[in-house]
Amino acid sequence: MSSPDSLPDVAAHHEPSWRAGLKDGIPTLFGIAAWGLVVGVAMVKSGLTVTQALGMTLLVFAGSAQLASLPLIAAAAPIWVIFLTAVVVNLRFVIFAALLAPHFARLPLWRRFLLGYGAGDMTTAMFLQRYPTETPAAGKVSYLRGLLYPNFAAWQSGSIAGIFLGSAVPAEWGLGFAGTLAIVCITVPMVASRPALCGALVAGVTAVLAHGFPYKLGLLAAVIVGMVTAMVVEGIIERRKAANV
Amino acid sequence: MSDLEIWLTIGALVCATAITRSSFWVIGEHVSIPTRVQEMLRYAPSCALAAIIGPDLLLDPQGAVEFNFHNYKLIAGAAAIAYYLVRRNMLETIVFGMACFTALRLLLS
Repeated sequence: MSSPDSLPDVAAHHEPSWRAGLKDGIPTLFGIAAWGLVVGVAMVKSGLTVTQALGMTLLVFAGSAQLASLPLIAAAAPIWVIFLTAVVVNLRFVIFAALLAPHFARLPLWRRFLLGYGAGDMTTAMFLQRYPTETPAAGKVSYLRGLLYPNFAAWQSGSIAGIFLGSAVPAEWGLGFAGTLAIVCITVPMVASRPALCGALVAGVTAVLAHGFPYKLGLLAAVIVGMVTAMVVEGIIERRKAANV
Repeated sequence: MSDLEIWLTIGALVCATAITRSSFWVIGEHVSIPTRVQEMLRYAPSCALAAIIGPDLLLDPQGAVEFNFHNYKLIAGAAAIAYYLVRRNMLETIVFGMACFTALRLLLS
């Protein structure tokens, strides 16, 4: 009988769930720290001072958006273009948030905001693996925290190490290229389907051709062209499938 | 960019993270996103990342397309993609790609 009073308390501290979160997160921490290190190096190698890079990593906490903003900052693109680019790179989080947020609808507003801000790719994936449905369950918040805090700590320590390492290494080593390689590694699994691959290839080529666009708008133009390509390809594949049935 | 402009940019990036990660949390209730919109949200990030990689690998510092064997980033980048497809490990791929890039730079220039 589920009267509202008998619903489990999602927010109360629940020791076993907190420990389970810590335990599930451990295998990912090394990779997170390494990825933070690369972003840290890339930030100082693209010309940010150590203070600016520390501020960026501690406040923004979104590796791919940070990497995306660096060439634009180096080219002195307008701030609104950098903002839009970061939003586009982050759009995948909108889907994650729509899946994750309803689990925590009863928490106070400020805590919801902060938990959402901290929940990146890895945290979302692991949380949904353990709690696929929105049914309230004791320990959901504890589990999420168990994933989230070490993730944040690993990312920040890697990133800060990278900032100091990057500022100590000479520019000729080309360490900024590690940032590009890191983006390659996040992109490859994203383009596993044919529409996504076509879209990404078209976007890449368009970005090269549109390099000289005013206000560095080439990147956003490339995203739009790539996205339309992906959707057209998907439409063609679906129509073919329908015709073959 | 001046110091102030960099900090304004960092502020804009904070807003970009907050809008994309936290807005559904602030709304709180269950929201279903239409399939068509979900597709767009799914394809946009990979297109954006590819649009960063493309110019990084293909353009020289003057902004001209450099599609030849003197472009070490392009060769090392292609090798790194192949390595990642086989091994599926980010850290190894970055080390491998940097090693290729450094070897080409030291041996050929």
